[in-house]
Amino acid sequence: MCAADVMAQAARQARVRVGSCVVVTAAALLLTRSALGCAPAGTSADPQAAEWLQRAAQAARSLNYSGTLVYRHNGREETTRVLHLADSSGEHEKLINLDGEAREVVRNNDQIRCYYPDAKVIRLESRASRNAFPSLMQQQRNTLAQYYNFNKAETERIAGLETQAYIFQPKDGLRYGHKLWADVATGLLVKAQLLNERGFPLEQFQFSDLQIGAKIDREMVRPTFTPPPADWQMVPGDTAPQDTGWQVKDLPPGFTKLVEGYRTLRGKPKKVAHLVYSDGLVAVSVFVEDMPEAPQPIGLSQQGGVNVYSRQLSDHLVTVLGETPSATVRQIAYSVAHR
Amino acid sequence: MVMGKFLAKLGGGSPVQASDLTPEEISELMDGELDTERVEHACHALREVASMEAWIYYHVIGDTLRGCSGLAPGFAERFSARLGSEPTMLAPPPPRTAPAAVAWALAASAAAVSLVGWVALSMWSDMSPLPTAVATVQQATEVRAADARRPVENEYLLAHQQYSPTTAIQGVRPTLRAASAEEQDVRR
Repeated sequence: MCAADVMAQAARQARVRVGSCVVVTAAALLLTRSALGCAPAGTSADPQAAEWLQRAAQAARSLNYSGTLVYRHNGREETTRVLHLADSSGEHEKLINLDGEAREVVRNNDQIRCYYPDAKVIRLESRASRNAFPSLMQQQRNTLAQYYNFNKAETERIAGLETQAYIFQPKDGLRYGHKLWADVATGLLVKAQLLNERGFPLEQFQFSDLQIGAKIDREMVRPTFTPPPADWQMVPGDTAPQDTGWQVKDLPPGFTKLVEGYRTLRGKPKKVAHLVYSDGLVAVSVFVEDMPEAPQPIGLSQQGGVNVYSRQLSDHLVTVLGETPSATVRQIAYSVAHR
Repeated sequence: MVMGKFLAKLGGGSPVQASDLTPEEISELMDGELDTERVEHACHALREVASMEAWIYYHVIGDTLRGCSGLAPGFAERFSARLGSEPTMLAPPPPRTAPAAVAWALAASAAAVSLVGWVALSMWSDMSPLPTAVATVQQATEVRAADARRPVENEYLLAHQQYSPTTAIQGVRPTLRAASAEEQDVRR
């Protein structure tokens, strides 16, 4: 018996152990939920949370504003200039990052273009999530109330504005908390934090200065690179809705499927299956592709408030990511299966 | 890193009895508590099938007890295939910066190198910063541990952001997450 066989045998046995461990963890989570009386059954919708979110979304869409936004995560800080214009032709928004490599994001209604001058790449996206808010589906409204407590917190002066903070406190261990500060006068979000299980902020967006009702014309929100140089690469990135044959068997409670389809990803030779699930406040993406030849990162990693879990499923690579605790993306990754 | 000690107390309950290494020695090796001379002896002993089995079992048990196991299905098959084509490597002197450094030096031996990504990643629990042990391993092997963990795959993150409801309440601001990750990738 060669060493490789022994290792392989040990690894096979290990897999059995790992599998049962996942089941035990999931069961423990369920037990905890029941014990705490957080079972979702029979809870009525909380219009307050949904209405409050709708007001914030409406303000972000309809107001003209310019400001400086600071994104803080993992002890890093990044500053971005934000310009937003709402006129008769709709919404126009431009973000320019002020530190490090130049980056620019320009949105015209649902079309988003991200410019990466150093890489000579323009990424084209369409904002497919517009149906999530403000026409918040009834199911999502229910989910919000069932899985989060919505509470008023302190008032605070931020970027020269009077703001009121609210907290979405998760009722189980499968979601993070959200603390959001909105301008009292307009409802516009001025600050947002993602909170872990211990209430510690994982990441934060905050305006350091903000002018609501600022005078902004179309020129100010046009891309700097118009027309883009001929040698820049245009990368489309939309998920074409389609049945992929993949499913998540053991979906965490409260999550429902938003989108299922195929999309192209830069650096991937073939199209990748993409499924999106949401609990009304955050989303989790599932990507399934043929196992690449090159060694792949397997296991858990993290970027700001986003957890990522990758694993191999026979000849496929499964990658799950979302603004949720690691347990949630891991649970989903281990319950992806072919129908 | 007291898991090893805990496991050692299990004594005869462990699934495999090593022929040359005692459970205590394996535990101490895992916890980085063996001195240089005994590490050499342990590494030699790990060439024995039974010792290596015990070593693996101890890690699997430890990971399972900690509730973090990142072993992917198909690992065994891939491991066997890769081990077959693995060149022999000489171990560089073990850095002593991390408590587990001595144990990690083992990673530089040919047989263990493929385990590195797995063990290191399974230790990377929620919220904790990148453990020093991972960096140590990367320096020690410079082989594929570097491939085993990277900043978030930006393509996935960018694709994900456009469907996130938070994007709808915060405009395109969460796109910053992806832009930020991209920058880290470029700098890498």
